[in-house]
Amino acid sequence: MDAPQLAFKERAAAALADGALKIAIDRTTGNAERKRAAAVAAFPEFEAARARGKAIKDHVIAHLDHYLEMFERNATAAGAQVHWAADDAEARAIVTRICLDARAKLVTRSKSMLGEEIGLPHALADAGIERVETDLAEHIIQLAGERPSHIVWPAMHRTREQVAQLFKVGHVPPPAAEDPATMVQSARRELRAKFLGADIGISGANFLVADTGATCTVTNEGNAELTTTPPRVHIVTAGIEKLVPSTAHAFALLRLLVRSATGGEMTQYTTFHHGPRREGDADGPEEMHIVLVDNGRTRMLGDEFRAMLRCIRCGACMNHCVVYRQIGGHAYGGTYPGPMGAVLTPVLDGLAQSRDLAHACTMNGRCAEVCPVGIPLPTLLRAWRTRSWRERLEPGSLRVGLGLWAMVARRPRLYRLASRIGVRALRLMGRRGWVRSLPLAKGWTAYRDMPRPAGRTFMEQYRAEQAGRRAPE
Amino acid sequence: MTSRERIFAAIRDSLGPRRAAPQAIAAEAAVLLENPQATRPRLAAPDLAEAFALKAKALGTTIDHVPDMAGVPAALRRYLDAQGLPPALALQPAAELAVLNWEGIATHPSLAPDEPVGLGLALWGIAESGSLVIHSGADNPVLLAFLPLHHVVVLRRDRLLPHLEDYAAAVQGAHPPRNAILITGPSGTTDIEGSYVRGAHGPGFLHVLLVGS
Ligand code: SF4
Repeated sequence: MDAPQLAFKERAAAALADGALKIAIDRTTGNAERKRAAAVAAFPEFEAARARGKAIKDHVIAHLDHYLEMFERNATAAGAQVHWAADDAEARAIVTRICLDARAKLVTRSKSMLGEEIGLPHALADAGIERVETDLAEHIIQLAGERPSHIVWPAMHRTREQVAQLFKVGHVPPPAAEDPATMVQSARRELRAKFLGADIGISGANFLVADTGATCTVTNEGNAELTTTPPRVHIVTAGIEKLVPSTAHAFALLRLLVRSATGGEMTQYTTFHHGPRREGDADGPEEMHIVLVDNGRTRMLGDEFRAMLRCIRCGACMNHCVVYRQIGGHAYGGTYPGPMGAVLTPVLDGLAQSRDLAHACTMNGRCAEVCPVGIPLPTLLRAWRTRSWRERLEPGSLRVGLGLWAMVARRPRLYRLASRIGVRALRLMGRRGWVRSLPLAKGWTAYRDMPRPAGRTFMEQYRAEQAGRRAPE
Repeated sequence: MTSRERIFAAIRDSLGPRRAAPQAIAAEAAVLLENPQATRPRLAAPDLAEAFALKAKALGTTIDHVPDMAGVPAALRRYLDAQGLPPALALQPAAELAVLNWEGIATHPSLAPDEPVGLGLALWGIAESGSLVIHSGADNPVLLAFLPLHHVVVLRRDRLLPHLEDYAAAVQGAHPPRNAILITGPSGTTDIEGSYVRGAHGPGFLHVLLVGS
């Protein structure tokens, strides 16, 4: 994965200055928020379903080795080849080797965040293999040379005019008009030939069904099946946490996933892939490979981030996050943005690289409220803050500052003296009730004013009040 | 150590040495499916066909009611005429469809990359979500449900199931096909500025011929 070029603060500042981005984010997340609320309101059993979804994921996580073995056994019996990757590099190597062994020139890919996580796009390019993204949003960002900015709507940062520009250059012939319907038609035409000409189709998996060995994909466009059916080889890349005991358990989670992601009740296409083409089958790939990826997941199993393994990648936490809605997905700098990304990125890229993410959280708790599998995201972010402090990753100025504060705060007299001085100094700096600029805190006051404080501290006023009460006695 | 061994070792390390027996795990998994009505949506109507139709139509699927299988070709002709399409289509090579009288309609088994119309048979319909279930096989190419612009699906009323779990139960223990596909509405996307556009990659039109009375 590329190292982020800029620090989080700089990326966030650039995003905040981008007016078009703000409009694009508001449009998609606002819509998603409204539709989810309506879908939940229409499903009175949602809370009970959520408790059950959480219990199903916890059950699988508690017996992960059992279910992995069961899945491997059943997928192998169905004729699929199961591969194990300890980390992203190994996953890339396995997929690249399968592609090279099959002498693949053209690979189609149906949207998979795990593929992004392991850096598959770059690995295929390095191996000289043409990769065609088939999800419409992924197609847009492939033309733009970008990474996804949302896990459900990867191109949500792009306006229709920008998409029209990309298609004008990228499609032959270019779309006849700039309305979404015409542009979708153009992409349909453009990608049809790729689907049918591909040597290999790569998909992710929303679920791995242990008792049948099937992988399950869900899409609204139908691109997954067009990706996995015509080529000679189908490769699935999936995280080991995607397991469910059975098809019925997958359905229980699917109800939560779709409502939480798009506000729909069911994705248009929900497909279980069970081994390669059978003898006599009318179509389907000759080989099926399933690459099961750890990449930090077993580490999470053993530490305070275990609950994060429940995540079903619905995106609700980012749609409801005040920070995400201000800065969008790219500012986070990792594969996964928003609250879930702020928890996962330190696992994947290291805490030293990404400690700012846990701090860029207001702790308002909206994400945990909407998470369909009850992940306590703010608690997990706080755990990263604690770890960052313990591992001495916080910058020196912060450590010294907090150290000084702690020293003063433990000495009441000194604390009162310091606050008396502070309050008076702030009054001197304020005008007409507001403090517009503060030395050492320009970053804070650049975007906000602070109310000019009262002339005395609380303790001073309290004392005076107490003295006044006592006087008549 | 292979990566497989490393992953299992790491898992067992984290989960601890005292592990449940497979039967105990299976029992626990079964408990998580008990009392399903408490955790799933109620049907849109008490009658299965009505519930199915309500959900399917909400997603843009169109439905025509046909008294029996023999009436399928005529119903199809009605649809093609209404859509201004010529009387030709890709037909799923299923015995139940092959025996019908297709006179006046040119059927072919192959699929062109831009096939206008495909007709297939659903194994089940699910009332809860308005979904159609198809299984791949010798008599059912997967691409029949994805390449055509118009996907017409024959669904027999007596193949309607109330809930998703009922489908899972219906196939429990049977050897699963290469692909089991639940189709719920025509293909669509909201990827450009959130505007909903039909016919993203798969069919832009999904038409169900609900057979039986
Ligand atoms: S953390 Fe929860 S809300 Fe966020 S993507 Fe994962 S499952 Fe969805």
